[in-house]
Amino acid sequence: MALLEVENLCIDYRTKNGYLRAVDGVSFSLDRGQSLGFVGESGCGKTTIGMGLMGLLPPNGFIREGRILFEGEDLVKLSPDEMRAVRWRKIAMIFQAAMNALNPVQRVGDQVAEAILVHNPGLSKEKAMEQVEELFELVGIETDRMRDYPHQYSGGMKQRAIIAMALACRPALIIADEPTTALDVIVQDQILAETRALQKEFNIGIIFISHDISIVADMCHDIGVMYAGQLVEYGSREEVFEDPVHPYTKALLSSFPTLTGQKADLVPIPGETPDLIEPQLGCRFCDRCREQIPSCKEKTPEWVAMGHRHKALCCRCEMGR
Amino acid sequence: MTEKTTTGAEVKGLQKYPWVTSFLEGWAIFRQSLLGKIGLVLLTMFALMALTSYIPPLIDPMYNPMTGVDPDITDSTGPSLKHWLGTDFMGRDILSQLLAGARVAFMVGVSAAVMSIVLGTAIGMTAGYMGRFVDTLLMRLADMIMVMPTLLVVLILAAVFGQLNIWTIVLIIALFRWPGVSRIIRGQTLSLKQRPFIEAAKVAGASHFRIIFRHIMPNVLPLAFLFMTFRVTSAIIIEAALAFLGFGDPGTVSWGMMLQWVWKTGHMFKALYWLLPPGICISLITLSFYMLGRAMDEVLDPRLRREDQTD
Amino acid sequence: MTPEDAEQLIHQLGLDQPLGIQYLVYLKNFFTGHFGVSFHYGEPVVDVIWDRLPNTILLFTTSIILSALVGVFLGKIASWHKGKKTDSIMTIGALVTHTLFLPWLALILIWVFGYKLGWFPINGMISEEVWLDPDAGLIKKGLDVLYHMVLPLSTLFLIHFGAYLLIMRSSMLETLKEDYILTARAKGLEEKDIRDHHAAPNAALPVVTSVGLSLAFSINGGALTETVFTWPGIGRELVFSVSQNDYPLAQASFLLIAIVVLISNLVVDVLYAYLDPRIRY
Repeated sequence: MALLEVENLCIDYRTKNGYLRAVDGVSFSLDRGQSLGFVGESGCGKTTIGMGLMGLLPPNGFIREGRILFEGEDLVKLSPDEMRAVRWRKIAMIFQAAMNALNPVQRVGDQVAEAILVHNPGLSKEKAMEQVEELFELVGIETDRMRDYPHQYSGGMKQRAIIAMALACRPALIIADEPTTALDVIVQDQILAETRALQKEFNIGIIFISHDISIVADMCHDIGVMYAGQLVEYGSREEVFEDPVHPYTKALLSSFPTLTGQKADLVPIPGETPDLIEPQLGCRFCDRCREQIPSCKEKTPEWVAMGHRHKALCCRCEMGR
Repeated sequence: MTEKTTTGAEVKGLQKYPWVTSFLEGWAIFRQSLLGKIGLVLLTMFALMALTSYIPPLIDPMYNPMTGVDPDITDSTGPSLKHWLGTDFMGRDILSQLLAGARVAFMVGVSAAVMSIVLGTAIGMTAGYMGRFVDTLLMRLADMIMVMPTLLVVLILAAVFGQLNIWTIVLIIALFRWPGVSRIIRGQTLSLKQRPFIEAAKVAGASHFRIIFRHIMPNVLPLAFLFMTFRVTSAIIIEAALAFLGFGDPGTVSWGMMLQWVWKTGHMFKALYWLLPPGICISLITLSFYMLGRAMDEVLDPRLRREDQTD
Repeated sequence: MTPEDAEQLIHQLGLDQPLGIQYLVYLKNFFTGHFGVSFHYGEPVVDVIWDRLPNTILLFTTSIILSALVGVFLGKIASWHKGKKTDSIMTIGALVTHTLFLPWLALILIWVFGYKLGWFPINGMISEEVWLDPDAGLIKKGLDVLYHMVLPLSTLFLIHFGAYLLIMRSSMLETLKEDYILTARAKGLEEKDIRDHHAAPNAALPVVTSVGLSLAFSINGGALTETVFTWPGIGRELVFSVSQNDYPLAQASFLLIAIVVLISNLVVDVLYAYLDPRIRY
């Protein structure tokens, strides 16, 4: 059984101008020990998926349709209290270190310990702190820094602390939302390598959310490309990276600089993301697509299987490649 | 797509007057604030009170708040047809006093506000423009003054100068209110100082004085006025407290003075009709200015607006 | 007084010296703590002040601590129920009480609780019968003071707690938008714990600052309260001495108040540094 199976997830936000469909009919699955990366521009809905999985949508957001099957159980149907028990214990989250993710007036060690104590109420404080020590060693922070406050940590250390906190309850799934943005590339590299090692050691499933396709290609077994709330291409890392089908994926790949391969110009993607309140019929990427054909605008694109799991949401692709 | 508040100005074709546009936009926001509306209603009520204060003495000299004496009454009496709120211990009509008090409150509040704005703007601009030593000196002074308990300082000055008249009181209050204004004006000046048009003026040979008054001040003043006009409350309260303690101007009838009379003449327990109105008025006018101030904050600072308001 | 007596008095008081010398003598006295003799009481000013100071400190600090604690507590609750009835009631209540005219509120309280209901005494700090009684123990005397303190304390409390409530409320609303609140929620904490252990400690910081900023306001209020309730404190002494033209006393009282302002600001700064680990000197 897959660790996580998401079927036709639709998430809306209530706004003063109507309902904004942030995530539209997304389906994917993830096994233990595997990682899935979501890439896309800001506003494509990738972060919303992460929040939706954790049950952390803001008050004006809600899951309109779909199922989230985690270890067989549909999370959408859980009550807030039941969801609270699942949170962190089974599914944890790694935030950006640049965010104010750590409480500035509490010691870092205490905050990590809190994660443990919330889900293990009978545990004593001392025992919890021992576990925190182990976690710190695991992620590579000196244990004598446990009693420090967040502002005394460097960016890399904060990220490690956040990772340690996420591992506190040995979750089965971790959602990492832009975990290395705002870190310098050297630290970024270290952290990614350490994360991979930890994943192997604890057989954790990871959902990696990033706007940086190169990181996702590095870290993840599978890749999902998001655009305007929809999953437009999905497949294994090799399939998507080496044989992209959807025009947006192709555009994304060519807009990132690379050290290897032929020298080529960077090609930016012109235009802006469409309005998600009244999404148009037909392909959403149409206006910015370089490969569009007349029928793209009218027909709703459907999934086209390209390979074993590789699929793309594109009208043109249907007509044969 | 959305029918947002396209301002009336655009419709009327007055687009070329930026003041009108921003005023109308501000008004649209203001209208949505419940606090602002209540405050405005209350304030209008007090303004009316102040205006009508001239009427009673015209009807009959016995209604004069200070000197009016009803020949039939020699002590404090309760409300009656002739005296809607009753009379004080000298037989003077309480309602007339209350109306006169409204007039004094506005006068004190507005004058103190204007004076402190003038003073604060001048000092703030100077500090911001001159920078360094002058700036530090002035701002330290501002800090010291801001921390001082105004009422008590005015009290000391009353001891030194003897009985104060209302304008002296207003002036002294303004002397303690300017620091707040000057801080804001200084901030504005500092950011304006960097702008190209100031550089241009300097290059053209304008003197410091000219730059400050002709270029900086027009950009800084509207903000000063808006921001501080609704901070008048403390002036009213200080005057009331002073009058209450017996250090007010004996020639003016203010609400604080009324409270002093009812307290010191021992009528506090017997004459509720005398005790309640002035206190309610002082509290309500403070409340209304506060509400207006909050609504103004929402207009001026977009971050304070509620999410569901149109912008 | 005969002319010779007057001359002798003038000489004694050093008033026949040139003004410059008089000023220097004055400064010397000032800095060595000789504030002269009160015209009214006939006692050295220092004694008068020393006598009154504890009373003011008692009333003042109790009122600030009480209003701050209650205000913060209620503000926290109001923010949690934002938009609902509890919040509206608390916010309106805070607004209304905060804008009441203090002396007037004092008079009303006296009228209701002192006169009409007769529950509490309306002036002074002590009842002489209790304090002159040789058998009265410390507890009885303490309770007596407390008994007298109820009304003035209530006045100060009612006027001041509103400000703290409103500040805490808006501070909480700001704090609840912070990222670490999301983290806490993600960790699976109950909303109550998030509010009390993560949001409130951070939201309380601006309140501490505002205590410092509103000190002047509180001191004014303290002096007015003492005057209306004839509480024997420094504030009342100041007002009284001014009305009696008792210059030495007025001057010393004022100086003392200035010192109180400075010390309170210092205390607030230290408290803030203690509460916020990001600021350590």
